Amino acid sequence: MRAADLKAVMRIEQASFLAPWSEAQIAEEIGRPDRAWLLAEEDDGSVVGFGGVMVVGTEAHVMDLAVDPAYRRRGIGRALLWALADEADRLGASRMTLEVATGNAAAIDLYLSCGFDVAGRRTSYYPETGEDALVLWSRPIRPHLAAMRAAREGSDVVLAIESSCDETAAAVMRGGRELLSSVVASQVDFHARFGGVVPEIASRKHTEAIVGVVDEALERASIGLGDLHAVAVTQGPGLVGALVVGVAYAKGLAFVRDLPLVGVNHLEGHLYAARLHDPRLAPPFVALIVSGGHTMLVHVPEWGRHEVLGRTLDDAAGEAFDKVAKLLGLGYPGGPVISRLAAEGDPEAIPFPRAMLRSGDLDVSLSGLKTAVLQYVQRERAAGRELNLPNIAASFQAAVIDVQVAKTLAAVSERGVRSVVLAGGVAANAALREALAHALGERGVRLVVPPMPLCTDNAAMIAAVAHDEILRGRFLGLSAEASAVMHLRGADARI
Amino acid sequence: MRPFVAIDTATEQVAVGIGDLDDPGSVIAERSFLAPRAANEVLVRTVEDLLEEVGARASGVEAVACGRGPGSFTGVRIAVATAKGMAHGLRAPLVGFGTSEAIAHRWTRPGLVGVVTDAMRGEVYPALFRVEGDGVVKRLSSDCVATPQEVAAEWAGLGESVVLIGTGLRKHRAIFEREMGDRAVYAEERLWVPDGASIVRAAWVAEGASTLRAIAGLSRDEAYAAAHPAVLLPVYTRLSDAEEAERKRAGLSREPGATGVAGPSEGGDRS
Repeated sequence: MRAADLKAVMRIEQASFLAPWSEAQIAEEIGRPDRAWLLAEEDDGSVVGFGGVMVVGTEAHVMDLAVDPAYRRRGIGRALLWALADEADRLGASRMTLEVATGNAAAIDLYLSCGFDVAGRRTSYYPETGEDALVLWSRPIRPHLAAMRAAREGSDVVLAIESSCDETAAAVMRGGRELLSSVVASQVDFHARFGGVVPEIASRKHTEAIVGVVDEALERASIGLGDLHAVAVTQGPGLVGALVVGVAYAKGLAFVRDLPLVGVNHLEGHLYAARLHDPRLAPPFVALIVSGGHTMLVHVPEWGRHEVLGRTLDDAAGEAFDKVAKLLGLGYPGGPVISRLAAEGDPEAIPFPRAMLRSGDLDVSLSGLKTAVLQYVQRERAAGRELNLPNIAASFQAAVIDVQVAKTLAAVSERGVRSVVLAGGVAANAALREALAHALGERGVRLVVPPMPLCTDNAAMIAAVAHDEILRGRFLGLSAEASAVMHLRGADARI
Repeated sequence: MRPFVAIDTATEQVAVGIGDLDDPGSVIAERSFLAPRAANEVLVRTVEDLLEEVGARASGVEAVACGRGPGSFTGVRIAVATAKGMAHGLRAPLVGFGTSEAIAHRWTRPGLVGVVTDAMRGEVYPALFRVEGDGVVKRLSSDCVATPQEVAAEWAGLGESVVLIGTGLRKHRAIFEREMGDRAVYAEERLWVPDGASIVRAAWVAEGASTLRAIAGLSRDEAYAAAHPAVLLPVYTRLSDAEEAERKRAGLSREPGATGVAGPSEGGDRS
């Protein structure tokens, strides 16, 4: 920044803060050897943002950071912050600190998503407004800069951990695409006799398995802890007690190794599984995520941004398979056994309802179908007739598939996309894959289905997202928590 | 000095202490505070702050000690999983101690100390200790879960008075007063949970192969092998609800033994 830039800088400063710095104050700052002031410029050289740091010993104080209101939500503030971090590192600082007004939600969100933690609060810090300030501290700067540099070169090595449901998983990935190892310790046998995932058992099993699973992932990848650029972990959504184990472990590991920590949305992981399988896959596309815990249609205009078009109003698809299998006495998990039986049955034998087929939106409901199956079974039993399990399975499955396919087609035409991703554990259902492929093929729309090990819960997909999050400069601080309910980042979210 | 970090979040108290493998019993630094439902948020940052306070770096930590419970299932797992991540990342030994030991260590006068931590659902986690004249704390009963009535009846018959301590008193004090009369003495409420100093001391008294005493004299590699972070597990004393219900349906007794799929107390030595 030079004196000639001050006019443009002051315009942004005054548009950004209730108590802006004066031009003289900023003029006095620039050019001092322990300071770094940087500009963000448009291609034509016009100033759209700026920021400054002061380095004292190993601490860099972020004194100011502002972006032209017309240029916000484009990642300019984040890019400026990391550019300031680079300068601060050069001036000998190891961490950054700053004060931010408690009411400045956008700024707080930016800093927390760069891995800053709240260290304290100064009451009535801003005399003009009486507002409190939060005191934030970054994590060690240099490992974060190194991870971002490596990610840009495609050489970042990430250890990812996934524990959102009943699989304890770890993976090591280089450059977001080269999978060096992927280990999944399934707990399904421990939950089977209870007919579903028991959250407390899942949490206990994660605690037992996590160290061994990580060791195996590192060994298979021939990677030492010293080779890692970052640790990634599924932060949500999922079973909170299960997520807590992965998040607490990852925080402990990232802390002692001074490694950047990346929090990943499990659902975004399912989307990236498709990219791992098919590197040519590019947004925009529509994804149908169907698993034991989730059933939703998502429009992905670009990687990292999402628009949830519809979701189940009650049971997830996998859950419906489990519940129907349970009421038919077929055991757990229900998906494989129902799909096997269905292959021998007549899908038109029993006219189970297609709920919400004509609802006009893209939501689905599956609990009514489960009830219809239950009532049918009770009627047949009361009449003394033997149950035709293959026909029940085939007819139930057809009802699920018809609705999913119809809603997916509606989403495709609504958004005009040429690709569809099918992801999540229920993608293992061959009839669903075939029906979707057939319906989409007729319309010239491409269907991408990752292979099963990438559809069911795994940490490779978490590592793939982490690579992009590192490129975006998004990290977690050590105060991060697991989040049972965690939404996909929206289409107009700050990146 | 070879610093080790001790942590416990089995109760609503977040307790962090720094000890020295070369100096049993010494407490280099300690911090503890109540943080209901916020342990995962604050634990690692508290460790970071405390290490910085004593001028130590995380990479210089020689061992990690962790409270295994019993207590809140999730609370116990927050400390255990964090400790596993730290120890694994450092390739340092991970040792366990009983949360009840740490609570007993908050009482320093000689005599019997009965820890009763709230186990919810009308039950407590009881553990009986004797504080000896030299300040040594000896455990007299194994970790379990029981009704306050059962615990009070048993401790009333010990033939001497017992200092009661622990969060179970918040709800159940009247039962102990009724059953134990003047055989019970009540520790003040601020002593009902571990603190940073008491967990460092509890870590030193834990007995077994994967404990501080067992590994303090070993080389780093030997210690890591003897107390590998994969081995240590929480002490729950209860099975999951699903398994408890299953046992009830099958008409089995309350004693779960080691047969549960998500065992109540397997893994590592009971401290």
